[in-house]
Amino acid sequence: MATWILGVSALYHDAAVALLRDGVVVAAVQEERFSRLKHDAALPVRAARWCMAEAGIGPEDLDWLVFYEKPLRKFERILSTSVATFPRSWASFPRQMHAWLGDKLWLRGNLCSTFGVRPEKVLFCEHHLSHAASAFYGSPHDNAAVLCVDGVGEWATTSLWRGRGHTLEPVGEVRWPHSLGLYYSAITAHLGFMVNEGEFKVMGMAAYGRPRFDPQLAQLLRLEADGAFSVDLDAFRWHWHPTEAAGPRLAELVGPARFPGTPFTPELAPGDASPAQVAESQRHADIAATAQRQVEAAMLHLAHHAKAQVGGDALCLAGGVALNSVANHRLAAQGPFAHLWVHPAPGDAGGALGAAWWVWHQVLGHPRGAVLDRADLGRSTPRARSKDWLDDLGAHPVDVGDEAPERAAADLAAGRVVGWLEGRCEWGPRALGHRSILADPREAQMRDRVNAHVKYREPFRPFAPSVIAAAAGEWFDIPPAAAAPARFMLSTGPVRGDRRESLGAVTHVDGTARVHVVDPETSPAYHRLIAHFGELTGVPAVLNTSFNLKGEPVVATAVDAMATFVRSGLDVLYVDGYRVESR
Amino acid sequence: MGWLRRAWITVASEVAWRIPGRPQRLLHAFSLAERGSMVDVLFAAEATPRRDLRRKYFLHALDEGRHARVFADRVRALGRGDRAEAAVEDSGQLVEAGISGGLTLFERLGEDDFLAFVYVAEADAVEQFGVYLDRGLADPDTALELRTILKDEVFHVSYSRAELERMRKDGKPVDRMVRNRRLRRLWERYLRLTRDIGARVSGVWLTLLYFVALGPFRLVARLERGGWHPVPPRAPDALAAARAEG
Ligand SMILES: [Fe+2]
Ligand SMILES: [Fe+2]
Ligand SMILES: [Fe+2]
Repeated sequence: MATWILGVSALYHDAAVALLRDGVVVAAVQEERFSRLKHDAALPVRAARWCMAEAGIGPEDLDWLVFYEKPLRKFERILSTSVATFPRSWASFPRQMHAWLGDKLWLRGNLCSTFGVRPEKVLFCEHHLSHAASAFYGSPHDNAAVLCVDGVGEWATTSLWRGRGHTLEPVGEVRWPHSLGLYYSAITAHLGFMVNEGEFKVMGMAAYGRPRFDPQLAQLLRLEADGAFSVDLDAFRWHWHPTEAAGPRLAELVGPARFPGTPFTPELAPGDASPAQVAESQRHADIAATAQRQVEAAMLHLAHHAKAQVGGDALCLAGGVALNSVANHRLAAQGPFAHLWVHPAPGDAGGALGAAWWVWHQVLGHPRGAVLDRADLGRSTPRARSKDWLDDLGAHPVDVGDEAPERAAADLAAGRVVGWLEGRCEWGPRALGHRSILADPREAQMRDRVNAHVKYREPFRPFAPSVIAAAAGEWFDIPPAAAAPARFMLSTGPVRGDRRESLGAVTHVDGTARVHVVDPETSPAYHRLIAHFGELTGVPAVLNTSFNLKGEPVVATAVDAMATFVRSGLDVLYVDGYRVESR
Repeated sequence: MGWLRRAWITVASEVAWRIPGRPQRLLHAFSLAERGSMVDVLFAAEATPRRDLRRKYFLHALDEGRHARVFADRVRALGRGDRAEAAVEDSGQLVEAGISGGLTLFERLGEDDFLAFVYVAEADAVEQFGVYLDRGLADPDTALELRTILKDEVFHVSYSRAELERMRKDGKPVDRMVRNRRLRRLWERYLRLTRDIGARVSGVWLTLLYFVALGPFRLVARLERGGWHPVPPRAPDALAAARAEG
C-alpha cells in the first residue's frame, strides 16, 4: 500500500498543495492557478481536488495531511508582540484577533472539514522547517547547510539548518520582528509597489540606480558581528501598525515615498521627462539599488555564518528572499559554497511540498529520494478538452501536433510574439517553458513591444532569456555554483560582453540577465523550440516571460490562455500542439 | 419597487460624485468588481456544457476585463487618491471574485441560476451607469467611457435575457428565479452590512480587552533582539510533536 501525504500551505499568501506518493511528488500546484486570483491565500480546495483526481485517489486515501506551519505558535507571537508594543499596537490588535478568532484558530477543524480527512491524520510542520525541507529534500546534496530567509513564519524570519541524509537539524534563527524579508517589503512599499508582489519590480529598478543611500540605510539594517542582522525597530512599524511598514524616519533618510503608478524615468531611460522628474526617478532607483545591495550583503553575511557553523560545500536556500535572483547570483559568484540549490517555489507555496517531504523523511524516517529537477508539476488539461474549448471560442485551432516546437521557433524568427502552453504548469512563480510568452531576444525594441503592448507592464522591467544548456556558458557568465538555480530561473548574472548586442531584448541596463538554462531531458519540447530558433537565427535563446497579464496569475487552461491571447498583443498561440493565429 | 431602487441609486450617486476624492474610490471599486466578474464569467465559459454559450460568456468576460482597465485608467487620470488603493490598482491585482468554499459562482448556482444572476447584476449596472449619465454626474471623460461601457452592458443584459426567455419557453419558473436573485442580492448586501457592523462592535470590545487585559503585562514583555538565537532541541517523538498545533 502506498503512503499518500498531502502538504498544504495557506492563509498568508500563495496557498498551494503538494501530493506525495511514497515520498515522490505526484503533483504540486498553487491555488491561484485554479481561482485566477493572484497570490490567492484561501485554503487550496481546488488545487487539492485536482491533485487527488490526477492521482486517482480520494481524501479517504490520504495517510497524512500536513499544514506548513504551527498556527498556535504564530498566534502566540502575535499576542506577545501586541503586549510588547502596547499601547502602539492598539489599532492592529483588534484586526488580528478578529481574523484569528473568526477562522485561523480553529485550523485543525477547518482542515478536516475542507479536505475531508479525519483529525488524527492532520499534522503541523513549522514554517521555516517547511521551507528548509523544501530546499533540502529536493536537492542532490546529502550534506548541506540550509538557509531560509523570508518575512516571518511563527517566530523565525531567518533560520539555519544542518541537512544530513534524511534529517534536518536546527542550528539557529533570527527572530521576529527583525526580518530581512519585511525590510525589503518596507522598501517595496516606500517605492509605491504592492507588498508581496512588487519586490521583483524593486529588483528591476535597482539596476538603474547607484547605492548612494548606503550611509542612511545602513542605520536601518545592520549586519551583526554574530553573523546575522538586526533592524532598527524604531524606524519600522510592521510589528505594531495595522497597515504601514515604515515610520517617518525612512522618509527623513531617503526622501518621500513614491506614489504608486508614478512614471519611472531615471537617467538611463529619461524619455521626455523634465529634469526634476528624472532626478526624482533617479532617487527612487538609488533607494532600490541601495536596498538591493544591502540584501545581497546580508545574504552573503548569512552564508558565511552558515559555512562557519555547518561547513560542507553546498547551500540550500528557500524563503521568499530566495526569489531575489540577483542576490542568488552574488551568493553563487562570491559566496563560500561551491554549490547552491534553490527550491523552484522558495516562497510560501513551496512550504506545502516541504512540509509533505518533512513528514515522509523526518517524521516517518524514509531515506532520500529523487532530485527535484523539474518544475512542471502542476495543472494540465486533456488535449481533446482544450481543442473543444478552442473550437467553441472560435479560435480555429490548427493541429500541428509534434511539430509545434519547430513551428513556434519559425514564428519567433519571423518576429511574432508567441503564447506557449505545453503540458503541466510550473510549480512556483516562474514560467519555465510550459506557460510562457516567447519572443525574439535579439532586438531591444522587442522588449519594449512586449512590455507595452503584450503584457501592459512597466517599461523598466527586464525579460529573461531561456537558453539551451549546451550553449549557456557561451552566452552567459554563469558561475558553477549557480548552475542549479539557473535551471529554475533563480539567478541573474552577466550576459557575456560580446553577446550583449545579440541579446538586446533580454539584457538589462546593467548588462545582466535572469537566465533560464533549459535542459533537454526535463524540458524536451521547449528545448527543441529554442534549439531550432538557434538553427534559424544563430541565437540559441528566446525571450521568455510568464504567460499572464499584469496582476493576473499565470494562465492554466486553454480558456485562460485565450482570454490573455485576445486581450494582449500576442500574434500566435500554441496550446499542446494546437496553433491559433490572432485575427 | 423599481422606483424605490432608482431613487436610492440616484440619491447615493448624487452624494458620492460630489465628495472630493470619492469618485476615485467609486471607480476603484468598479474596477475591482469588473475584474471579479471577468473571472466569474470566465469560469462559466470553461465550465458550461453549452457550446453555444461558451463563446458568449467568453466575450462577456473580455468586456468586463476591458471595463476594469478603463475604470482603473480613470482613477489614475482623476489624480491621487488613497495610496494603498493606488498600489492595488497599480499592481492590477484582483482582490476577490465569486469563489467560495472552493466553488465558483457558476458551480454554486448552476447554469440557469447563473444566467438569472448575470441578468440581474447587469440590469443593475445598466441602471446605475444610466443614472450617472442622465444626471451628468461623471466628469466628461469618464462619461464618455461610461457610454461605451453601457453598450457592452446592454449586450450582457440582452443575451442573458434571451436565455431566460428560452428557459421560460421550456416551462422554467424564470420570474421566480429572477426575483430570487434580486432578493438574494439584497440579502447578501444586508449580510455584508451586518458583518461590517459586527466587525465594528467586536472591534470595540477587542480594543477594550486590549487596554484592560494586555496593558498590565506591558512591563514583562519584550521584543526579541536581532542576531542569531539558539533553537531549543526538538522533541524526540517526532510524530507527537507533529500533531501539535503549537
Ligand atoms: Fe515563508
Ligand atoms: Fe462591466
Ligand atoms: Fe457587464
